[in-house]
Amino acid sequence: MPSEQELQISPIVQESLVHNSRTLYNLQSLTASLFGVSAGILGLESYSGFVFYVALSLVTAVLFYALRVAPTSLASGKPPLDTSRYFRGAYDFWAGGLMNGFAGFVLTWTLFYGLVTA
Amino acid sequence: MAPPILHSPVQLSPAAALALSQQAPAFLRSSSSTVSSSPLSTLLSGPEKSEQWLQYENLIVSCLRTGDDQAAHQCLRRLVARFGDDNERVQALRGLVKEAEAQGNGALEEVLKEYNQILDENDTNIPIAKRRIALLRSMGRLSDAASALVQLLDFSPTDAEAWSELSDIYLSQGLYPQAIYAIEEVLVLAPNAWNIHARLGELQYMAATAPGVANGLYQKYMAEAVKRFARSVELCDDYLRGYYGLKLVSKRLLNDGAKATRQTDDSEFALPGTSTLERLNELATARLSEIVRHSAASDRGWRGYSEAEVAAARALLADDASAIER
Amino acid sequence: MAQVPVQSIHRDPQLFYWILFPITIVMILTGVLRHYATVLMASAPKKQDQKATREQRSLLHGINVRGNHHVLSKPSFTARRDALITAYESGAYLKNPDSRGQPPPNPMSDPNAMEGMMGMMKNQMAMVIPNTLIMSWINAFFSGYVIMKLPFPLTIKFKSMLQAGVATRDMDPRWMSSISWYFLCIFGLQPVFNFLLGSDNAASQMAQQMNQMGPQGGAQMFGPGVDPNKQFLAEAENLAVIEHHSVLDGVEQRLLAGIKV
Repeated sequence: MPSEQELQISPIVQESLVHNSRTLYNLQSLTASLFGVSAGILGLESYSGFVFYVALSLVTAVLFYALRVAPTSLASGKPPLDTSRYFRGAYDFWAGGLMNGFAGFVLTWTLFYGLVTA
Repeated sequence: MAPPILHSPVQLSPAAALALSQQAPAFLRSSSSTVSSSPLSTLLSGPEKSEQWLQYENLIVSCLRTGDDQAAHQCLRRLVARFGDDNERVQALRGLVKEAEAQGNGALEEVLKEYNQILDENDTNIPIAKRRIALLRSMGRLSDAASALVQLLDFSPTDAEAWSELSDIYLSQGLYPQAIYAIEEVLVLAPNAWNIHARLGELQYMAATAPGVANGLYQKYMAEAVKRFARSVELCDDYLRGYYGLKLVSKRLLNDGAKATRQTDDSEFALPGTSTLERLNELATARLSEIVRHSAASDRGWRGYSEAEVAAARALLADDASAIER
Repeated sequence: MAQVPVQSIHRDPQLFYWILFPITIVMILTGVLRHYATVLMASAPKKQDQKATREQRSLLHGINVRGNHHVLSKPSFTARRDALITAYESGAYLKNPDSRGQPPPNPMSDPNAMEGMMGMMKNQMAMVIPNTLIMSWINAFFSGYVIMKLPFPLTIKFKSMLQAGVATRDMDPRWMSSISWYFLCIFGLQPVFNFLLGSDNAASQMAQQMNQMGPQGGAQMFGPGVDPNKQFLAEAENLAVIEHHSVLDGVEQRLLAGIKV
C-alpha cells in the first residue's frame, strides 16, 4: 500500500477504481449464476458442486487477469499476478468472486438441479 | 448521437461550434419531443439518461453562439417541459437565451433586473447568481461582478467554478496576489487538476514579470511558477501549456541567472540551481517539439491539441532556435 | 453400516409451474417495483437558506483545506489556516451565532430533523412492507408441502426453517418448502437486479444493508442533533495540528528522474 505522501504525489482516480471493481463485480455475479446453471444441469451434488464452483471462479479470475489485466500491467513493469494497476486489493480480485457470486450460484444451482432431477 | 455534444461547448473553436449546432436539427428530430411519464413508454424507449439533458444544454449554448436562435428555443422548450419553469438551471439557461437575444444595453439591463428579482425571492439560486455575475462582467462592470462573486463565495466557498472566475476577474484588473489566492482555492477543491496547476504557474509568472515588482518577490513568484509547471506536467505528461510555461520560465531564469541572488528562507520555495533549470529547459523543449511534430503530422493519439496552442509552442521553439543560431 | 437409502419423493411437475415460477417472478417484479417506488418517493433535496448553506460549506471548505493542504505553498497554507481557525473559533460561520454553547435541540422537536427521519423511515418501509406481504402470501398459499431438493446436504438444524409447515420427522432436511425458495431468491436475485436496473439500484437490499453498516459520512455530518459549533471547533483543532508539507517539494527532481529525455 503506498504511503499517504506518495498517494498525494501520484493520485489514484477514485472513479476509475470504482468503475473497475464494478465491472469485475458484474462479471463475477454473471459467471457465478452461469456456473450454477451448469452445475445444476450436470446434476452435481454437495461437495462436487462447491468444488466445481470454486475451481471455475478461480479459472475466471485467472482468465480475466490473463486477458484484460496482464497485457498492460506487465508492460508497465508490475510483477506477474500483481493487479495493483487496476484494483486496490489483491484479495478482492482473486477471491472476491467467491463471495460475490455465491448466493447467485446457489440459487441457480438449486433451481436447475430441481428442474433436471424432478 | 455524436459524443462531442456531451462536452461543454465553451472551449470549442468557432468552426467546431458551428458544426455542433448544425447537428441540432438532426438531434432534435431523433429524440422525441415530449417526455411521457407513463412507465410503459419508459420501458419501451429505455431509461431516461441524464446525458440527454446535458446534450440539450450544450446544444443551446452552441446554437446561441452560432446564431441559431430557433433551435436554441426549441431545446429550451424541451428542458422546460421536462424540468418545469422553476428549475434553477432552466432559469439560468432561459436567462442566457434572453441575454443572447438582447439588443443593446437597455435590454441587458432588463435581464439584469429580472435576475435581481429572482435572487430577491431566493438568495441561494446559484445558477442565476452566476448568470448575473457573468452578465455584469460582460457589461464591463468588473468591480460589481467581483463583489457579487465574493458574496457568492462567502456562503458557498466550495464552488471551484466561482473561484476560478474570480481569479480571472482579478487578473483582468491586474490584481495578481488576489488572483493567485483565488486560483489556489480552486486547487484546494481540485488538488489534481493539472490545468489549474499550470494556470497558477502562469499567474505566478505574470505576477513576477509585471512592471515594478521587487526582486525578492520576483524570485518567490518565479520559484513557485517553476514548481507549479513541473507539478502540472508531472500529473499529465503531455500537457502542452505546462511544458510551454516550464520552458518559458526556465529560459527566463537562465537568462538572468547571473544576477540571481539565492535566498534561504526555508518557509518559501527556493529557486532551483542552474543545472536543474537547464535540464528542465531541455526536457520541456524536447517534449514541446515532440508535441508540435506529432500534431503537425496529426498522428494517432496526438490529436486534440488546440491549433493556437501548438502554433504558440512552435513560435516559442523557433524563437529559441534563432537565439541559439545568433 | 448400512447406507441410508436415498429418499425420493414423487412430486407433481405442475408444482414447478404453479409455485416455483410464480414466486420467482413475483420476487423479481417486487424488486423492480421497489426500485421505482424508492425513486419516486425520494424527496427532492430540500431548499436551504443561505445561512445553512454557508455553515455547511464553510465546514466543507475547512475539510478540503485540511485534506488537500499539500497543494499549497507553506505561506498560503498558513494564511488560510489562521483565517479559518479564527473564524471557526469565533463562530463566524454559524447559522445562528446566539445559540452557541447551548445544547442542540431535541431532534424530535425540530421539523427539519423530522423530515430527514421521515426519509429514512420511507426507505425502511419500502424494504419491510413488500417482504412481509410476500412472506405472508407464500405462507397462506404455498405452505404445507415440499417442492424441491437442495443439491447439498444440510444439518438437521435447518429442518425447522426449511420445512416449516411440513411436519414429517424423518424427512431429509435437503427437501425444502416454498418459503425456503423465497429466502434463496432474496439473496440470489442480486445479479438479476443488477442487470435489469443498473448497478446502483434500490432493489439491492444487500447494498443498502452494507451502507447502513458502513460509516455514514455525508448524511451523518450535517444530520439532526449535531452541534455545528462543536464540529467547527473540532475542525479548527484538526487544522491546527497539521504538519504542512507540499507536493511541490522537490518536484523538479522527481520530474527529471521520472521522465527520460
